[in-house]
Amino acid sequence: MDELKIADKTFSSRLLVGTGKFASNTVMAEAIAASGSQVVTVALRRVDIENENDNLLAAIDRSKYLLLPNTSGARDAAEAVRLARLARAASGIHWVKLEVTPDPYYLLPDGEETLKAAATLVKEGFVVLPYMNADPILAKKLQDVGCATVMPLASPIGSNQGLKMRSSIAIIIEQATVPVVVDAGIGAPSHAAEAMEMGADAVLVNTAIATAANPVAMATAFKLAVQAGRMAYVSGLAAQGIMASASSPLTGFLRNP
Amino acid sequence: MMMKLKINGVDKLFDADNAPATLAELLAQMKIDEATVVAEIDGAIVPREAFAAARLTDGMTLELVRFVPGG
Repeated sequence: MDELKIADKTFSSRLLVGTGKFASNTVMAEAIAASGSQVVTVALRRVDIENENDNLLAAIDRSKYLLLPNTSGARDAAEAVRLARLARAASGIHWVKLEVTPDPYYLLPDGEETLKAAATLVKEGFVVLPYMNADPILAKKLQDVGCATVMPLASPIGSNQGLKMRSSIAIIIEQATVPVVVDAGIGAPSHAAEAMEMGADAVLVNTAIATAANPVAMATAFKLAVQAGRMAYVSGLAAQGIMASASSPLTGFLRNP
Repeated sequence: MMMKLKINGVDKLFDADNAPATLAELLAQMKIDEATVVAEIDGAIVPREAFAAARLTDGMTLELVRFVPGG
């Protein structure tokens, strides 16, 4: 069985999904089910003390899905560590998707602060999955401080631009000793398949599913694309070449020499 | 005497007769399901099991957070 192993857990699905931007919790729950995913991300925010609060966790069956809290909103290492600790107290699990994004326009991660937070959280016993720029050197450093995965961005969060960082991600995949999860910017099933064909261990998708006209069907499309891409990678893609290479025999033509 | 708490960045005043004695009482008063919340009092995380024992006093700063959809 071709399973994904992260830290001490194994997963048959290589698609991780986010819970943001869905029209309702019902649609979200159906889409997550259709995606076949076993890991779902959530964020942590202040309770609205004036209004009634939606109970997100009521919509997520935690016997089926591993909850992966993120540290979104953190602008530096200290804020990310604080959010991770709160998330652990809230969920009872010690897995965290580490995000440190000081820039509100492009939401690009701060590598230096991410590395600092990762080192602290690993020491505190967290399983750390860091969101990062597609920087092969940073990926090695994150791996060296004990992160359970590296999660390079394909393109900016929610941009749906696909694998703009393709060549750097290829280097990260080549060097990594922990699973590489391509996160952010994957806008279409073809992008997900492409990442998997390159040898990524998994992809994380949110916006492309949640904001599709039919999120449930799109979740299915992503599930199939990830499976197809993985199968293609494992099967060994045929070599590319500049010249044509005939698929049909070059003998026995119906013509005279 | 009034009790002042800063909750999620907002100052809240409570009359002496309805001032919550504990975090659990505060959540009940605010109709917040404590199973969905995690709290910090003056920067220290309070585990859910300790909500009923966490005493509130004038001037404390509280953060009440919960999981929301996110990517």
